Amino acid sequence: MKNKQTVADDAAEMIPSESHEEQENEAPSKAKRSKPEDAGGEESVYHPVKLSRSDLYKPPSAEELNQLKEAESLFHCSLLKMQMEELLKEVALSERKKQQIDSFIQTVTKLIQTVPESPEVEVSDLSWLSSEVKVPFLLVPKATKGKFHMVPPASVDLIGSYPLGTCTKPRIRVDLAVTIPADVLHPKDVVNQRYPRKRALYLAGLAQYLTSSSEIGTMRYSCLHGNRLRPVLLLTPPGKDSSSFTVNVHACPPPGFFKPSRFHPQKNNIRTEWYTGLQNSQSEGTEPPTPHYNSSVLGDLLPRPHLQFLSAVGSQCSAFADGVALLKVWLRQRELDQGTGCFNGFLASMLLAYLLNSRRISNSMTAYQLLRNSLNFLASTDLTVNGISLAKDPDSSAPSMEEFHNVFQVVFVDPSGHLNMCADMTACTYKQLQHEASVSMQFWDNPTVDGFHSLLMTPKPMIRTSDHVFQLCELVKLQSSCKKLDLLSELMDHSGNYVHTALPFILALLQQGLGQRISLLTHSLSPDPEWSVESEAPKHKAQPPLCFGLLLKPELAASVLERGPPADSPKSAEFRQLWGSRSELRRFQDGAITEAVLWDGKSMCQKRLVPRQIITHLLQLHADIPESAIRYVGALLDDVIKTGSEVPSTGEEESLLVVQSYDDLSRKLWRLEGLPLSITAVQGAHPALRYTQVFPPVPLKMDYSFFDKEKTSRSLVPKEGKPCPAYITPITVICHMEGSGKWPHDRLAIRHIRTAFHIRMGELLKKHHNYTCKPCPTHLDVWKDGLVFRIQVAYHREPQVLRESVNAEGLLVVRDNEEAQALEMATNHKPILTSTLHGLQQEHPCFGAVCRLAKRWLGAQLFSEDITEDTADLLVASLFLQPAPFTSPGSPQVGFLRFLHLLASFDWRNNPLIVNLNNQLAVSDYTEIKNDFMASRESLPVMFIATPKEMKQSMWTKKGPTVQMLQRVVMVAAESLKLLEHQLMDSNQTQDVRVVMRPPLDAYDVLIQLNPKQVPLLVQAVDPPHCHLQQGRHRRQCSPDWRGPACRGLQPCDPLLGRAQRSFWGPGPLLL
Amino acid sequence: MAPSKKKHASNQACVIPGGFTVLSVQFNSDSVAQHKLYVKEHKVRSERSSHRPMDRTLFVLNIPPYCSEDVAKQMFSQFGSVQSVELRDHPGSSQDSGPKISKFFRPAAKQGFKVGYVVFENSSSIAAAKSHPHNVPLVVCTEKRRVKTGTQKWIQQYTESFIHTDNLQKIVDSFMEGYDKRKKEEEEKQKEEAEQQQEDEEGWVKVTRGTKARPHSEAANKKTLQKEIRKKKRKELMNFYTWQHRNTQKEHIAELRKKFEEDKQRIALLRAQRKFKPY
Repeated sequence: MKNKQTVADDAAEMIPSESHEEQENEAPSKAKRSKPEDAGGEESVYHPVKLSRSDLYKPPSAEELNQLKEAESLFHCSLLKMQMEELLKEVALSERKKQQIDSFIQTVTKLIQTVPESPEVEVSDLSWLSSEVKVPFLLVPKATKGKFHMVPPASVDLIGSYPLGTCTKPRIRVDLAVTIPADVLHPKDVVNQRYPRKRALYLAGLAQYLTSSSEIGTMRYSCLHGNRLRPVLLLTPPGKDSSSFTVNVHACPPPGFFKPSRFHPQKNNIRTEWYTGLQNSQSEGTEPPTPHYNSSVLGDLLPRPHLQFLSAVGSQCSAFADGVALLKVWLRQRELDQGTGCFNGFLASMLLAYLLNSRRISNSMTAYQLLRNSLNFLASTDLTVNGISLAKDPDSSAPSMEEFHNVFQVVFVDPSGHLNMCADMTACTYKQLQHEASVSMQFWDNPTVDGFHSLLMTPKPMIRTSDHVFQLCELVKLQSSCKKLDLLSELMDHSGNYVHTALPFILALLQQGLGQRISLLTHSLSPDPEWSVESEAPKHKAQPPLCFGLLLKPELAASVLERGPPADSPKSAEFRQLWGSRSELRRFQDGAITEAVLWDGKSMCQKRLVPRQIITHLLQLHADIPESAIRYVGALLDDVIKTGSEVPSTGEEESLLVVQSYDDLSRKLWRLEGLPLSITAVQGAHPALRYTQVFPPVPLKMDYSFFDKEKTSRSLVPKEGKPCPAYITPITVICHMEGSGKWPHDRLAIRHIRTAFHIRMGELLKKHHNYTCKPCPTHLDVWKDGLVFRIQVAYHREPQVLRESVNAEGLLVVRDNEEAQALEMATNHKPILTSTLHGLQQEHPCFGAVCRLAKRWLGAQLFSEDITEDTADLLVASLFLQPAPFTSPGSPQVGFLRFLHLLASFDWRNNPLIVNLNNQLAVSDYTEIKNDFMASRESLPVMFIATPKEMKQSMWTKKGPTVQMLQRVVMVAAESLKLLEHQLMDSNQTQDVRVVMRPPLDAYDVLIQLNPKQVPLLVQAVDPPHCHLQQGRHRRQCSPDWRGPACRGLQPCDPLLGRAQRSFWGPGPLLL
Repeated sequence: MAPSKKKHASNQACVIPGGFTVLSVQFNSDSVAQHKLYVKEHKVRSERSSHRPMDRTLFVLNIPPYCSEDVAKQMFSQFGSVQSVELRDHPGSSQDSGPKISKFFRPAAKQGFKVGYVVFENSSSIAAAKSHPHNVPLVVCTEKRRVKTGTQKWIQQYTESFIHTDNLQKIVDSFMEGYDKRKKEEEEKQKEEAEQQQEDEEGWVKVTRGTKARPHSEAANKKTLQKEIRKKKRKELMNFYTWQHRNTQKEHIAELRKKFEEDKQRIALLRAQRKFKPY
């Protein structure tokens, strides 16, 4: 009885707490919490549910029984659906907000309707405006005919997403259309920007009147999707709500005031004579068409019919608003929903309307299905070739589809049949949209990906999405490009906006030049400018630099040769025209003589920058854009892992040398004759053998004067007075011997037998190949090609022997212990990981470079003790194996940024990171791993990484990091990412990417300064000292006749750190 | 137990609770910092080891890592001649198991603070150590005995890690010889035992308490246990009686409820983390 009561209490407690949570969610002033804080929140731990016995076994009611059965069959498959519902709750406007908006709209409407009349003046006469308000228009050319006067509007209506119910948080925009009365306008006003100017004047008049009102917060101008012909007035409510939403005031002509046929894409509405100011004898027939101007004026005529159309469609489909909201979130995460030529919420609604009208989706579908179907449609339909139209039966004056395609790159015709709603969109933007949609569809179907998270929750900024990014900094330069490309009539059509005039041509040029090297070319959408009503409209150049993103094809992007058509083919002229002086005739090995362009590039890191050479060359040649105006962000980070003085290299070449030398050694080991047992496997177990060593070992030659000679063992030992000798990295190689009955069953005896093998192997290598060898009980060091290979003989039953022991009762017990685990790790797991990752490197050429950058960062930030090399490599591997929502990284830079993002955003507490090496894990394994993880979260390592070989334990992260260190790693990674992205994207900043590699030292209590003479790896410091220390080595290739024992693996810092850590801190974080 | 005094006059031994006397150690005569050693006579009930005689052995705690066995031996010889010093990671009974092995095959010693057993030749030395005033520090590195530090020490360790191949081969050979000999002896012993179990001429079998030929393994034990359990289970009748059937159904519903609650919690948890806030 008593038990029951407590249960009831519990239930009662639960209900209010839940409702409280919801209230909190809906509260308007939601405190924004950053992600890392989220991850560290105390309540965010998953606790296994504990239900009391009486609760579990009470008799069920029929309703509960049904509910449970339903949950059993539905809950898991509809988890995504439930998550989306939660998301929709997050973005939907609350009732309170709606009330606020409604009341503010009422105030504004009332105010606007009482705007006083003013006397009629010439359009060009701005004296009636007070000096506090400027006209939101670039008055170029200045002269305009026509009369203007302020009068109260004919009507004020809500248009756009808010009345439709598709308005979402954040950035709430409410559109208000103010109809300019017919007597202000003239039917001939469409010509020569007269109407757009009157429209701007009308807005300025409204702004002037509204400045005196106290019921309006701030007032700013902006323009619709960056179109300078369509300025809007932004109003915010006064007081503390001022940032919560914005009212956009649009001015519109009265419905049907202009005939739609005037705006046919082939018609001209801006006279060359007026625009250039030159007397020209051209008749109207030969004037160039002005499709973009036409569509922007036409766009003003249609918002009301569009709203009616959409609300008619939306009212039939119950999930319409939710579907649009999801699509908007999806677009926003991909930075496609704002700026010039964007795919905004309006287009998203129109797309859904199209799909509904064409019966591709039915009215009864849920928001989840709407999103899926529209993405599917986008992925499969190319609007740049086959436009779509919403017009059911367009009138005879409406242009045909072909006419649209001739002048616009992307075609999506509105219900009236006259307007192309995608007039400003470039083909590249649409291709990007298509690419995103198809990538989304791919991982949506993949049950191993957290679809919801990748689809709707992960932001995809350009710097983290594109492999290479470059910026056009001085946009003024595009003016001369327009001249060079002979784009006067296009410039006129875009009313002087040279950026948008030149953009499509530059994109086409780059697309042609980069050709097979890239899979996608994207560009940033210039954001809508906003300026205060007191200042003049900003110039066209006053926008942030244009960014272009390249998605490289790894196999072709780095090729130094651009092979053209044969010399005698007619296409060769075209090729020469494109490449200019760089094109030359070349004879190839197959005998063909063709046009070709050869780019510079010796090492891999130089070859990776071939796209940069192409871009600067083409832009200089064809668009008059100097190299100084281009800021190429593709390899800025390579600096920190660069070595090599003559040919700069990021380590690919050095690693290759090491691997080749190792391959040779392994072949020789296999062929050794005279060993008592045969070799069953030779496996590399060192990062250098999988291309992921930060600084791959370089062949060295010793300087004898730095060493004493130790007579008894014939070794070199460092001299006391001299600086520390160079560090030689021993490269671990595991050599498995065949099993045999002769192996003893005793740990000590096995150890001695292994030593005997080391000695024997060394003798044989010396005898047959004349390598200098140095056997030790634990390994055999072989000096080969200036490198030291550390061969360890392994016996596959040894870990088992180490685990066995006889207990007091004489029973043979098998107990796992650390010694056995360490041995197994060294002889089994590390070699397998090395060979697997070596395979991954073959598949993705920049895998190694990303690993090197990542480990460089971890090392520089003093985390390499906690996140070991193997762990770091696995983390990077996960980026390549499961890139959703991105594609596999195609450059070291983007890979490193995603590595930081992974560290900063992964929820280690509640999720295992599953690295599906070699694609060995099936879907069922994923569920199993997740269930096991959930069941015993508390006892598992903080950072849990599961691989196909080892799904339960996360052996790579068993030793570290600790909770505190992981927390710090997450924090530092988040900060580094923020800083780095800012550095890479901001053209004004002085470039110093090394900032993220310098650890903050102010948090530490004790700093130990090392004597630079005793630090052998000093040259590898993030900021290496200028003076070069002689460290007892010659940086020449090792001469083959050199014979001498080496000084291997002596690194004085290591014992110091280790000693300090063990003696004073115990196995905890050492902050140095 | 020695009565602990609240105030220690200088030049007097300092005794802390637990019966330990505090000795201070400093690296050299110029050092400012000191480490404290805690010493006490070695007194263990169970141990009767010959090389840690109760009356002559001093138990020392907190020996800093720069004190090697040699250094400790010399340092404590000021209280009387020292027979041996043994440094260990943890206190415990000494175990002298297995054959003697070369230092190259011993697992690497752990660095850090250690405990030590100092065996004096005379029992009077213990009293001398315990009455040593706490404010007169023992000095590790003096003019007479230099203790290597820093790079010197590392170079020394590095040098010591080398061994000539022939010597190494000798060590291996001698160990393996010993191992083979031990193996052989063991085998012979077993053979002997087996022979003893045989019937003798008159048909008698000698039964002894000797160890079995090979110890039972734990895994084998487990296997038989599981076999028995399985056997038992097979005999059991499931869902035979009405009450059994009802119980199974009840269990199923309970399971569903539990799962439902879990899922509900999972969603609530995600919501609490604001996992649904897209930006």
